[in-house]
Amino acid sequence: MNRRKENEIKGIFGLVVLVFLIFLLIPLARLFLKSFMGDAGPTLGHYAEVLTGRGFLEAFGNSLLISSVSAVMTTALAFILAYAVHYCNLPKGYKGFISRAAVIPMLLPTITYGFAIIYSFGKQGLITQLFGAQLFDIYGFNGLLLGYVIYTLPVSFLLLSNTMSYVDKKFSIVSRIMGDSPFATFVRTVLRPLLRTLAASFVQCFFLCFTDYGIPASVGGEFEVVATVLYNEMLGSVPNFSRGACVAMMMLIPSMVTIALLHYLEKYNIRYNKISQTEIRKGAVRDTAFGILSALILLCVLSVFAVIFVVPFVDEWPYRIQFTLEHVISVFSDSSLVTVCRNSLIVAFLTAAAGSLTAYGAALTTARSHLPGKVKQVIENISLITNTIPGMVIGIAYMLVFSGTPLQNTLFIIVICNVIHYFSTPYLMMKSSLAKMNASWETTAMLMGDTWLKTIVRVVTPNAMGTILEVFSYYFVNAMVTVSAVIFIAGARTMVITTKIKELQYYTKFNEVFVLSLLILAVNLAAKGLFHYIATDRQKIKVKRTVRRPVISKSAG
Amino acid sequence: MLEIKNLKKSYDGITILHDINLAIDDGEIVSILGPSGCGKTTLLNLILGLTDADGGEILFQGENMLRVPMEQRGFNIVFQDYALFPNLNVYKNITYGLRNNPSISTKQEVEDLIDLLGLREHLDKKIEQLSGGQKQRVALARTMVMKPKILLLDEPLSALDGVIKESIKAKIKQIARDYHLTTIIVTHDPEEALTLSDKVLIIQNGTISQYGKPDDIIQKPENDFVKEFILNQLLIKKNNIFTLFRQGNEPQMAAQVG
Repeated sequence: MNRRKENEIKGIFGLVVLVFLIFLLIPLARLFLKSFMGDAGPTLGHYAEVLTGRGFLEAFGNSLLISSVSAVMTTALAFILAYAVHYCNLPKGYKGFISRAAVIPMLLPTITYGFAIIYSFGKQGLITQLFGAQLFDIYGFNGLLLGYVIYTLPVSFLLLSNTMSYVDKKFSIVSRIMGDSPFATFVRTVLRPLLRTLAASFVQCFFLCFTDYGIPASVGGEFEVVATVLYNEMLGSVPNFSRGACVAMMMLIPSMVTIALLHYLEKYNIRYNKISQTEIRKGAVRDTAFGILSALILLCVLSVFAVIFVVPFVDEWPYRIQFTLEHVISVFSDSSLVTVCRNSLIVAFLTAAAGSLTAYGAALTTARSHLPGKVKQVIENISLITNTIPGMVIGIAYMLVFSGTPLQNTLFIIVICNVIHYFSTPYLMMKSSLAKMNASWETTAMLMGDTWLKTIVRVVTPNAMGTILEVFSYYFVNAMVTVSAVIFIAGARTMVITTKIKELQYYTKFNEVFVLSLLILAVNLAAKGLFHYIATDRQKIKVKRTVRRPVISKSAG
Repeated sequence: MLEIKNLKKSYDGITILHDINLAIDDGEIVSILGPSGCGKTTLLNLILGLTDADGGEILFQGENMLRVPMEQRGFNIVFQDYALFPNLNVYKNITYGLRNNPSISTKQEVEDLIDLLGLREHLDKKIEQLSGGQKQRVALARTMVMKPKILLLDEPLSALDGVIKESIKAKIKQIARDYHLTTIIVTHDPEEALTLSDKVLIIQNGTISQYGKPDDIIQKPENDFVKEFILNQLLIKKNNIFTLFRQGNEPQMAAQVG
């Protein structure tokens, strides 16, 4: 009765739940119903049609196969990179390079990967020319595998690298002193603590491959996967929304299973509190081997992207390779392309702003309120659901619900779609940051006359600024590169760069594709650099002051 | 005068405090002493108003505070972890409350507190640059600016060591004396409680085991709990110290506190 009523937090909770009800649960329910609705009431007919029709089961099998193979390969490669960073005596600068280079693919849309592969390994490709012969057939399994591995490598690397930084390196020393063989030491003190993270990496990569549309759209060829079937049902030459809804539901099943697995793995993951820092043992062979292997992996990944720096700047690849800025200039003099770029920037910026605000509000209700556990669980469940739903499924659900409403063909609907699609990670980042803060701040500030809102503005938000910037940057970059959901909801006037790339593919205008891809990369690099600068700038001030601090005088106590 | 009558509190059917009765005079320092889980922090939170009581009365100057919201009671607390705001420097932390209520302390009063607690040279520093003792003094100053009618301190010394502990003790005593401020301190350390306060309230299993002056508790322990757990601890400490100083190890210098 004396306890503060927390009306503000209840209001925020209500708003967050309302947004997710309208823009997540209702569209999903609509999609679910659509898949069961026939001309004469409920039916399983669409499912029967899909399951027996044009090679759906084959596509489904293909998806499972290619996703599994990619996930295993990616996890193995990411392990090598992370091991080089955390367990080898390599120069600090080189380790920094590995960590940074491994995540570069994140800054490009997946649809670009495919075209980069075509222009690198295709018959006239850059790398094919270097080798003098085509290394492998790029359309179908091989191309998809390469694309998926590049796509998921950053995520897998971040997961493994994070856990490795927390694994106690002293165990390795103890194990060796106790007389274990090097192999036994490796298995017991490196592999075993990482087992769950390796599994999580596999599952996460599988999920990303299974639900990605950009890569099969460009290099899928005859090798049909679920994502291409889904696209063709919805936007192909003979669209059938009911069948599309069925396919979307079928895509949801493996997604739900993988996320449930991920959740399970996370729950039993060992939580370490502090990063362990020990001197790494000498091992010249190990260091050389992992140093070279890492360089090779990154060279392969980055060489694929080399073409996007080459093709748009030459006259006509591969026949006339004089340097020219003609293509770049033509893109920026094409008013429709300029509009597309402007749309993308507006969408990315608004997504980042609205997304950060939503994640912050949601995290405040779970991390800094006394609402009952069941109420907080609602937010947790929302976060879990958004993590489960593939972008394509959200896009299709929006297409079904918002077509014909004033929201159709607006930038607003793209923004809200991105906010919801990418909600999970920013929310968890925000929550963990807020939960770490001193639990007594609100009480203390209230005793000094603050209202709740004042405390949030004067104390909590300034201290959460680092994480807010990270969340902002995460949303911004993802909004720039996403294609899977927006492809279904971007209209003629609300086209963004990624959907434009898909359209340009249709007209085989690859110079424009690469110029636009470069533009996305440049914007994302600039954005990341800017947010990093703002964050470290704050850090620097802190460090400077700490250095200046005089020795604490004993008498002061 | 703060009077507590028949105060009760339970969580989820488990009784934390049974029927607590006590009276604290104005300007007194009272320590609430007991093992962890005995209910001492709950009692502090009940007085502060952070927690609702199940029954009983909390009378301050004759007025029942039980239904008065926390922020209107006029009591204030320094939490064990200080809850200082890391985005603000020392001075801004100390004057935080003035932004909401500029007239509560005059400029001179704030300056006096800064000098009393020896914080003048630290005013521009960030919180993370301070030692534990300095943080404690900043938190004390920040709370004192609000001119609390009762000052509550949750384990104010447990994170501090050695000489710093003694200097903070002296500051707490000085504040209570200079401002004639009723001060209630939660602690689990008998030595702290008995050397710092005018009266000690020993709680065990949610009931008052003994409430009296330090001298009375040492001379006339009322039950086995006080004897075995409180006094015995002090006796062991005393013997350890005596052993250390017995064989010609006379102290070479006079003890200094300040």
